[in-house]
Amino acid sequence: MRVAIAEDSVLLREGVARLLTDASIEVTASCGTADELLVRVADDLPDAVVVDIRLPPTHTDEGMQAALTIRQKYPDVGVLVLSQYVEVGLAMRLLADSAEGVGYLLKDRVSEVKEFIAALRRVADGGSALDPTIVSTMLKRHRSSDPLDSLTPREREVLELMATGASNAGIAESMVITQRAAEKYVSTIFTKLGIPATGSESRRVLAVLLFLRS
Amino acid sequence: MAAVLSLSPEQHRAPPRPALLWALGVAAVAACAVTAVLASANEELYQPALRVLLVWWVTLPYIFAGIVAWRRRPDSFFGPLMILAGFATQLSMLQWTNQPLFNTIGQLCDLLPAAIFLHIFLAYPTGRLAGRAERVVVVLAYVAALGLQVVALMLGGFDQHHLLTVVRRPAAAEAVQNLQLLLLSALALVGVVLLWRRWQSLPRWQRRVPTQIVIHCFSLTLVMFAALLVAGTFQLPGFEIIRMATFAVMGLAPLAFLAGLLDARLAKAGVGELLVQLRANPAPDLRELLAQALRDPTLSLIYWLPQYGSWADQDGNPATLPEPGSGRQVTLVKQNGEQVAALVYDAGLGEEPELVEAVSAAAAIALENGRLEAELRARLQELHGSRSRVVEAQQNERRRLERDLHDGAQQRLVALALELGLLAEQTDSDPATQTRLKRARGEVAQSLTELRNIAHGLHPAVVSGHGLAVALESLTAATPLDVQLKTDGLPRLPEPLEVAAYYVVSESLTNAVKHAQASRATVEVGVADDTLIVEIVDDGIGGADSERGTGLRGLADRVEALNGRLRIWSPADSGTRVRAELACG
Repeated sequence: MRVAIAEDSVLLREGVARLLTDASIEVTASCGTADELLVRVADDLPDAVVVDIRLPPTHTDEGMQAALTIRQKYPDVGVLVLSQYVEVGLAMRLLADSAEGVGYLLKDRVSEVKEFIAALRRVADGGSALDPTIVSTMLKRHRSSDPLDSLTPREREVLELMATGASNAGIAESMVITQRAAEKYVSTIFTKLGIPATGSESRRVLAVLLFLRS
Repeated sequence: MAAVLSLSPEQHRAPPRPALLWALGVAAVAACAVTAVLASANEELYQPALRVLLVWWVTLPYIFAGIVAWRRRPDSFFGPLMILAGFATQLSMLQWTNQPLFNTIGQLCDLLPAAIFLHIFLAYPTGRLAGRAERVVVVLAYVAALGLQVVALMLGGFDQHHLLTVVRRPAAAEAVQNLQLLLLSALALVGVVLLWRRWQSLPRWQRRVPTQIVIHCFSLTLVMFAALLVAGTFQLPGFEIIRMATFAVMGLAPLAFLAGLLDARLAKAGVGELLVQLRANPAPDLRELLAQALRDPTLSLIYWLPQYGSWADQDGNPATLPEPGSGRQVTLVKQNGEQVAALVYDAGLGEEPELVEAVSAAAAIALENGRLEAELRARLQELHGSRSRVVEAQQNERRRLERDLHDGAQQRLVALALELGLLAEQTDSDPATQTRLKRARGEVAQSLTELRNIAHGLHPAVVSGHGLAVALESLTAATPLDVQLKTDGLPRLPEPLEVAAYYVVSESLTNAVKHAQASRATVEVGVADDTLIVEIVDDGIGGADSERGTGLRGLADRVEALNGRLRIWSPADSGTRVRAELACG
């Protein structure tokens, strides 16, 4: 796998590069600005980019803009956005019409090396990776006559995993259950919430998010 | 008692000394007597008594109107010009004597009064010639009246009692004389056109009857002049009749001018009206009242604020006195020797310093009140400005701290967490080390979370970075309430506005959750009429109060510092509505 990085903190940029190299991932470009990233990506198309949401010069939304640009111009390149804060509003913007090949994680997640690499691979392969805090934040919202109330605790757990972009196999592994059992949970949840069952894992991420937001 | 000092934007001139004016009056009477004597001694004169009377009729009104005008309008050249015209007329009558020197002077000045009259009429009322056309006409008139007269005399024109004859060329002298008369009559007619144009250019409110009468008199005089000079050129019959009629008309102009001055006095009757109105309404729109009393709708009123050492309008906004030459007249109103206010008005045709003086004196107390009010408003503005600066400085400081945390401690801690993660990957042998590593990573993760909360509390970076709509979506998603958010079509706005709006929503939702026991809320944010409107309504128990609890009070400060308005409706048991309005400009 080949990955380009954009991160303005040298310390962190080098750390991530080392992390990727250790996992036998080729780092095609290591950039300090969004503009540089766009140039390098155009020169040598990677499988995925890891981009910090706040980049020079204004440290406001340059990283976000670069991420959206790459998603639009190179749909095959996975985009993993890292940030000190995860914002539901930004997640909705990033996933505006598709959760395919996109990830949005708290920066802290790089320290969970294995999970981080797995999320990156998923994004590069067209899957999704949403930070669990996004889903848990949205689940905290209390709603009157909430269909979520009909979910069992185990089902809620599955819902949260599903919303982060985990596959059925991933869910099974996390919850220490069989893949078959995981599939069963997923279809029960869809029925209870009244969401039409969708095939791809990234499509169901979006479906769950939209349901939670409504 | 109020003292009033009239200040024209140009240099001030001291009023003429009374002794000088008296001397001029006496000289005028003496000159009239001399003229009478000359006329009675001259046997060739046609109807000498009537001629003398007409000369008096022209001379005395000009000189006396000139004396009055000079005393009352020392800044204007108009008075001196009128006096000059009167004496020039007298001088020209020296041609009635055969004494060579006096006769020469009289002949030289024969047509000078015509040029001076034209000059006066075109210089009404300031005594200065306003336009280029006026200046050209007046200069040509003097050249024709004096220059060509000298030439005609040198060629031996006119009767032979003068001393200037150099060669005797009667035909040439007559040609020059005819040219002179025709030129002057043409200039007189051009003068009529210029007067008419001047009248047309006046704003409607300045076209008052006295001014109109003065201008009509001037125009009529000029037309008569032209007729007289043409009659003289072609030696038309009835020349003497026209001459007398012209003199008769000429005497009218200064009377009309005096009537105009008198009107200014009459206008003081308006002062009584002003006093009545001031008594009836202790807090009037003073500018409006003064504008009415002074019959100048363009009048503006500014106050002197001694503490600030500057001028301000009624609302306390900084103001300046008009530049000299701006066409605006300034009258300073003083009380106990200190300037209180200034009236700024049009330096138009009907300048009436006595009226301004009377009006200012009548309104002195109201002006003093107005000044105090303007000062109060200026202080309020200053206070508001300093509060805005405090809020802005605080805002900037918080943003800087958040940025420092983000770029410094947070990045380093993430890098440290990453380092620990990589270390954990590599050391898979020793379980004790693994445990300690795991604990260390937990500590770092906890620190990161705490730091993140602190940084986010300092400044909502997502607002600056991605706008209010995105930030509010995150905020409402994280609120444990059923929140309906409407931000349709919300544009990006200046950062202080977005941040203030964000805090209004965030604080209101916090209150709804913490104190109001609400279960639902709606948040609506939109721009209408260049105003950002933020409204949060919940279904809680109400009873919120911006005076209790620092949250809502702080919000009101933040909103008001941006010139906005925060209103809270929170009757007991029927929910809370918070509405903030912030001007986008």
